[in-house]
Amino acid sequence: MSKHETPLMDELENGPWPSFVSDLKRQAEKSPQCWDIIGQMELSFKDRMTHWKHGGIVGVFGYGGGIIGRYSDVPDQFPGVAHFHTVRLNQPSSKFYRTDLLRKLCDLWEKRGSGMTNMHGSTGDLILLGTKTEELEPLFYDLTHDLQWDLGGSGSNLRTPECCVGKARCEWSCFDTQALCYGLTMKYQDEIHRPAFPYKFKIKFSGCANDCVSALARADLSVIGTWRDNIRINQAEVKNYLNGASKSGGGAIPSRADKFNIKAEVLDLCPTGCMWMEGDTLKIDDAECTRCMHCLNVMPKALRPGVEQGASIMMGAKAPILEGAQLGTMIIPFLKVDPETEFEEVVEIIEKCWDYWMEHGKNRERLGETMQRIGLPTFLRVMEIEPLPQHIKEPRSNPYVFWREEEVEGGWQRDIKEFRKKHAQ
Amino acid sequence: MALSVDELKEKILEKALKGPKAQLYVKDFYACDPESKPRVIKNAANELVKEGKMVFWSSGSTTMYAAKGRAKDEEK
Ligand code: SF4
Ligand code: SF4
Repeated sequence: MSKHETPLMDELENGPWPSFVSDLKRQAEKSPQCWDIIGQMELSFKDRMTHWKHGGIVGVFGYGGGIIGRYSDVPDQFPGVAHFHTVRLNQPSSKFYRTDLLRKLCDLWEKRGSGMTNMHGSTGDLILLGTKTEELEPLFYDLTHDLQWDLGGSGSNLRTPECCVGKARCEWSCFDTQALCYGLTMKYQDEIHRPAFPYKFKIKFSGCANDCVSALARADLSVIGTWRDNIRINQAEVKNYLNGASKSGGGAIPSRADKFNIKAEVLDLCPTGCMWMEGDTLKIDDAECTRCMHCLNVMPKALRPGVEQGASIMMGAKAPILEGAQLGTMIIPFLKVDPETEFEEVVEIIEKCWDYWMEHGKNRERLGETMQRIGLPTFLRVMEIEPLPQHIKEPRSNPYVFWREEEVEGGWQRDIKEFRKKHAQ
Repeated sequence: MALSVDELKEKILEKALKGPKAQLYVKDFYACDPESKPRVIKNAANELVKEGKMVFWSSGSTTMYAAKGRAKDEEK
């Protein structure tokens, strides 16, 4: 294979940032098919269209996910990428790796594929970019036998669950995101490896509302840490922020760090306006606080999450296909996340929503689209959840109240004659 | 009464082999037995893949089923 003329791709090496084109060229010395990736991308830039075809029946025996068939639609020009399948690997919780394992993985991938990786894909998996159909089974054998490493989800499967760094490194984490992510990954192996649903289903876990894995924007079901008692305030530390001894936001924004203004940076930015100062004492009306994390982010030494910790569950986030992008809808404001019970509270909710969606979701309809179609009141009834103030998005504009028959004494059956008698003129 | 797993598999395979559509979503098999739960039908279809009688066809974002030999681009 020879190097192609790629003036447009070469442009991408000129900026001050690291360039994937330079990486591809370096890798091409060992894996010549990388020249063809660059060549095909150059052609795509010129033609203003992709030359990748995706989809197919490729996979490894017994699995219905984790491998995505990719083919070039110009294989004669770029034979090195005629087949160039993507492999998704289930990343470890919070993406902590052992260096020896990564070295072994890189060696294996240079032997069985292009040597190019994507750390990480948007679902969270470690992605191996590009191999041939005949390499898939040997690669899978070595991955699972030598590295004890499994594939992740794709297609209409449960996608690889993903979590933030959680209690491993973050003091804000209100539950053990890694334990829950690992526990559910192991529990739902069948759903991850074989198609189970009308469409993809993503579950993501963030330890607090900072939501470092963007669960709220991406996951059909997000579990986001929160607390239900009061924010813990250390008033002595509040004074240290006021007198400049502590830097706001840990000094992350240097232009602001030296002139901390609690009114401008905290009180006025609290979305519910539930904070005020009495002299130099900070007050919070916790009943009004939405646990947004803003004030804790600005004054981490002075404010900490409460001690009664757990998580909120939101459902129905998705990217734009069909009705447009959608954030998750609050379904359960607070629940305990308890490893002692094998997370039975979370499991019960997940399975109740799967049972409904598997039966009533349309083909290629994300959970959020099903929810939109049937409406939140119906969805809450399906989930057997009483409507709560937290479910309300805006004051009602429809003055009618619709009752269901079982909510009305005597149902719809009436003795009309008896009723009319009372109103007889 | 719901069909047994073997009866269900037979009906699913028949639909995959003879139905007008070559590639089907798992939901398309629900009609094979309205009495069976979606999860049971999904498991029966997945067993047929394990037995080599059906294949998965995946676009990457969604997955469909086809009888062996009927999937799009199967020669690849
Ligand atoms: S989501 Fe919250 S708990 Fe998790 S790493 Fe980010 S800040 Fe920490
Ligand atoms: S967490 Fe958010 S809503 Fe609650 S007090 Fe702090 S800024 Fe206000």
